[in-house]
Amino acid sequence: MRKTTVFLFQHWELISSFALRDIKARYKQTVLGVAWSLLQPLSMMIVFTLVFSLFAKVPSDGLPYPVFAYSALIFWTFFSNSISGGTGTMVSNATLIRKIYFPRETLLIAVLLAGLLDLGVASLLFVGMLFYYKISLSLAALWVVPLLILQVTLTFGVISLTSATHVNFRDMGHGLPLVVQLWMFATPVAYPISVIPAWLRPFYLLNPMAAIIDGYRRALILGAAPDLLAMGVSVAITAIIVGIALPVFKRAARTFADVI
Amino acid sequence: MSDTTIELSDVSKRYRLRRGWYVTSLKDEVGRLTARLLGRGVEPREEFWALRDITFSLKRGEVLGLIGMNGAGKSTLLKILSKVTVPTTGSFVTKGRLGSLIEIGAGFHPDLTGRDNIFLNGSIMGMSRREVQRKFDQIVAFAEVERFIDTPIKFYSSGMQMRLGFAVAAHTDPDILLIDEVLAVGDASFQAKCLNKLAELKEQDKTIVLVSHNLSNITEHARTVLWIDHGTIRMLGESDAVVDAYLEHVSADIKAEDSQHQARDRGGDRPISILDVALADAGAPPRNCFDREDTVHVDITYTASRPAPGAVFGVSIHDVHGYDLGGVVTDPGSVKVTAPVDQGVLRLTLSPLLFNKGVYTLDVYILDPATRRHYDLRRRALRLVVDGHRAASRGTTGYVYYPHQWERLK
Repeated sequence: MRKTTVFLFQHWELISSFALRDIKARYKQTVLGVAWSLLQPLSMMIVFTLVFSLFAKVPSDGLPYPVFAYSALIFWTFFSNSISGGTGTMVSNATLIRKIYFPRETLLIAVLLAGLLDLGVASLLFVGMLFYYKISLSLAALWVVPLLILQVTLTFGVISLTSATHVNFRDMGHGLPLVVQLWMFATPVAYPISVIPAWLRPFYLLNPMAAIIDGYRRALILGAAPDLLAMGVSVAITAIIVGIALPVFKRAARTFADVI
Repeated sequence: MSDTTIELSDVSKRYRLRRGWYVTSLKDEVGRLTARLLGRGVEPREEFWALRDITFSLKRGEVLGLIGMNGAGKSTLLKILSKVTVPTTGSFVTKGRLGSLIEIGAGFHPDLTGRDNIFLNGSIMGMSRREVQRKFDQIVAFAEVERFIDTPIKFYSSGMQMRLGFAVAAHTDPDILLIDEVLAVGDASFQAKCLNKLAELKEQDKTIVLVSHNLSNITEHARTVLWIDHGTIRMLGESDAVVDAYLEHVSADIKAEDSQHQARDRGGDRPISILDVALADAGAPPRNCFDREDTVHVDITYTASRPAPGAVFGVSIHDVHGYDLGGVVTDPGSVKVTAPVDQGVLRLTLSPLLFNKGVYTLDVYILDPATRRHYDLRRRALRLVVDGHRAASRGTTGYVYYPHQWERLK
């Protein structure tokens, strides 16, 4: 933990430069610009509301479905965009990696940072929805902070593994979008966790994103603390993933320039 | 001060040659793994040692010249020195901030403005934002891009991009600087600027590793030269001695290449064509190594199947990069080929030879002056190595030697 903080502090300027580059370059020559950060979760919310709520009558724990879905979608979009961006970032910065030395982790952190900005933009609409549905935030909303830290840590672990693998095996680029899509359906984004049968739930919660997404919803809309047991499992699994991912990434990163 | 800033001991680098340009597919790897688990033999991957047992150290303020043929391992060594990759075996230590003028501008993003790119590239090279801010005006002035600083660099000319890249890299204030051939690019005024910058950095006691095919640049700036050949150290020592040995080796190499050249058959229907080109001097076997101010004869053997009365013979001399240093042609009509000739020989005498130490290539051609069409053209027909005790004398720069004298008038 201390090492991470020191690393972040030392390389903060490089990380923010990369993040700034990604953000600036992404919206160059676009008309809608940063509004795209909003449009992705918004359109998903509309489709989900139509399909899951209106047609399929999926329950939403008594909450208005749009806000129920959107509260999960903004965080899920952050997760899935970070995974697709982070996995490819080594390869898309190949010329840089081949020529110049810099700590390769900074590229991953920059992806997360740029994603956080998108999340910030997308959550503006969420605030509007809270007003519209007359939902007021309680003190429990502060749970978002540890949840977000947990999510970022988990995402960092995952993209450390996938990006290092992607450098050697481009199969990653083809397979991963599929996995992320399936992963979303194994996470309570479009439906509440209460629809999962009790016998399946212990296995279901092995998905570390399940407790995190559920936690956001409780904290932001229900004004309640997350399911601490589920979150504990999520923390443990995140720790295992990061524990494996970091040394693997560090080892692989030494020779990225040779194989990329 | 004499503290060591770079130390390499027994550094080797192995590359595995894989199918499909270093990228394997998962299928491949799974196949290999299962074969191994089943105890079946796996065909070994082809290996390639780009470097073998490289040992040397550099002290603060030293300038090392790195020479070798293409593919000798110079780039791999620079990659290791710049920490882009790690050695397979051996140990490698550097002290201080590292700067590289290798592939300058690699960190540029085409969609961002010059200003954004300066900050981006600066921080990739380890400068802080404040540091870039402080040097910003200098960098912009050095690159001569003031007017376009808020334009995305994809609209820059390639020369502007390169200048900007060099400007950022040159202002990183490194302790160790790696320079790869960058002095050979850009227009003349920019090159002069770069050389000045290099001299300035030398004065500031930086450790510099300089790679160049321009041997006079090397001897001018580096006191020590490392010659790499096929991934191993061929010679390491005082720059003149190493460059001399290198030139000797190169000229020996050329002889072998030349004989291959001559064996090549050239077909096609042309009235007149070159059969052979050779360097000759007064006596003895042909050679291609001459001292400065020697007399050099170039014998052009040609054959003409039809009369080609207007044909003009020419020889042009190039540096190793192919840059045309000058040439000579016959006056139209001075060599009249009015009847078919089986084998004619035309001799060109260059006397005295006014080139400084280095390797030069000669193109030989026969031209129809009316249409500017080449009847025949032999690119790099010959290589001319200038070396010897006159060529070794200091007091000259660049390619061309001027017979000269210095006089004190007052």
